[in-house]
Amino acid sequence: MKLYRALAVGKRVFRDVINDRRTLLLIFVTPIISILLFGYTFGTEIKNVNVIVVNEDKGVFNPQLNVTDSISDKIIANVNPQTLKIDYTNNVSDAVNKVQNGHAYGVIQFPSDLTSEVYAKAQNSSYTEKAPITVMLDMSNTEVARSISSRFNDAVSKTVDSIGVSSALPVNNDPIYGNNFKLIDFSVPGITTFAVFAITLELTLVSFVNERTSGTLQRLFISPLKESEIVAGYAMAFCTIGTAQATLILAVAIAAFHITVAGNIFIALGVIILLVVASQSLGILISSVAKRELQVIQFIPPLTLVAFLLGGIIWPLEAIPSWLLPISYVLPPTYAVHGLRSVLLKGWGLDKIWLDILALALFEVVFLVLAMWELKRWEA
Amino acid sequence: MEYFVQAASLIKKYGKFNAVHNFNLKIRAGEIYGLLGPNGAGKTTAIKMICGLLTPTAGEIYVLGKRVPDGILARLVGYMPQETALYLGLTVHQNIAFFGEIYGYRGQEIETRERALLKFIDLEKFADELVINLSGGMKHRVSLACALFHEPKLLFLDEPTVGVDPELRVSFWNYFDELKKNGTTILITTHYMDEARRCDRIGFMRNGALIAEGVPAELLSYTNTDSLEDAFLIFAKQDGAL
Repeated sequence: MKLYRALAVGKRVFRDVINDRRTLLLIFVTPIISILLFGYTFGTEIKNVNVIVVNEDKGVFNPQLNVTDSISDKIIANVNPQTLKIDYTNNVSDAVNKVQNGHAYGVIQFPSDLTSEVYAKAQNSSYTEKAPITVMLDMSNTEVARSISSRFNDAVSKTVDSIGVSSALPVNNDPIYGNNFKLIDFSVPGITTFAVFAITLELTLVSFVNERTSGTLQRLFISPLKESEIVAGYAMAFCTIGTAQATLILAVAIAAFHITVAGNIFIALGVIILLVVASQSLGILISSVAKRELQVIQFIPPLTLVAFLLGGIIWPLEAIPSWLLPISYVLPPTYAVHGLRSVLLKGWGLDKIWLDILALALFEVVFLVLAMWELKRWEA
Repeated sequence: MEYFVQAASLIKKYGKFNAVHNFNLKIRAGEIYGLLGPNGAGKTTAIKMICGLLTPTAGEIYVLGKRVPDGILARLVGYMPQETALYLGLTVHQNIAFFGEIYGYRGQEIETRERALLKFIDLEKFADELVINLSGGMKHRVSLACALFHEPKLLFLDEPTVGVDPELRVSFWNYFDELKKNGTTILITTHYMDEARRCDRIGFMRNGALIAEGVPAELLSYTNTDSLEDAFLIFAKQDGAL
């Protein structure tokens, strides 16, 4: 082996990279963006989770201080206000209804005799409380549910310590959604969404760059085919592939892990189809900025990484910093994963996921129109 | 006289670069017209403007009496790009059938037409072979078959013999002669001067402009040369390019 020949090859490869500004940008900018996004999303504390408190605690009147002492008020005061955004209501069924409709993640119900019973227990350790605090959570988002439980338990412990009660307060957990949810139940909708989005985007990008560079697109433009027919043809093919792919993932997850399917599986597949069409139109659009296949392959990791980290795939939107949330809201997977999770885990129907459907449909229309417009202005 | 192609005062600019300028062309019905010139002369840009793939910066083009672009022309013209422009992951049959389908052919019509085309390009035994496994010459033949599926009146061939071995180039010109006999008008671009002798008329292009035009024998006689290559060099010199 001659070093000078190996050096010549090395220099050639290096020059090839240096001459392509897009490659350079991706080599240096993508890892920086990745590490920043990763750092700002993963491991960040979940914030601003809506929780409804039904406070029936009558408290105990303290004649010396002439005030009504309330344990529940003390617990609420000890709750981290950045994590839990507390709203109040007097009616438990209204509160549960709000969680069922996705307006809040949990209900905390303080019983009417909470304070009196805590003091009774403090004076007589053999006293058995009759009415525990009830925490009713939407367990479909395991990370959020865990965060509410953890923060609430912290507040209870702090309160117990501050008033000098030796025993812990009884807390009864009563899930609104998901009695026995496992992490896999939460993960499958995310993984399905991500796989369909990433693979559809990748296949469309590569196929379309090939159409442009191989000359077949020129042939198609000379033929009677219209731009809309080309895009529709791609959509039909990828809808079939995406639906088959999603069906397979769900079938394996159901067979192997017995995941929860509370809702209509056909609505879930409908959400996937909407995502596929939006993803393939986005792929056609992005393919126009790539001149060769290598450039298009370089686009895929940053695009999929952003969707993975900011789309609520495995990390809830509630944990994403507010300044990054606008990016989450312009990603089609954000709505697909929310829709899919709601159908599979909560059993929601079209009446409740219409906002996700509308958002996906809007993405589709915008991307389809832009993809067709881009094809119209394309010059061979 | 009926002209299938009429291009007048065509200009195509890319920024400050004039890819084609003051380009005028008339192609008669039933003839094989060769657009000749070195690489970068503007042949492909000119043919793409005539096909409607590129929008001219200025000038106008009429093809089969219709002003370009016109949707109706899609069924009347055929185009074989410089690249083989085939779907490599599909078989020969699947490629040909696809181009038949987008022109509205169905079932038995596709089978009949495909059989005739495979016979024409002598690839009947390779119908079920993936295009990626074919030699360069075979790919070119399949590409021609795809351009011919809908029996276009006017055929645009952009450098169809680039990278093709001499034997196959002869076969290609035999195909073109046969198509002409069947009434197809052909506009072909090439930088192989020798093979252009088989055209009815040729136009020499240099630096984006047509510098000479005529019947090959007349051009040879006018320049008193034996080869079109020498004739081209004389016209280029007269044009002030050399």
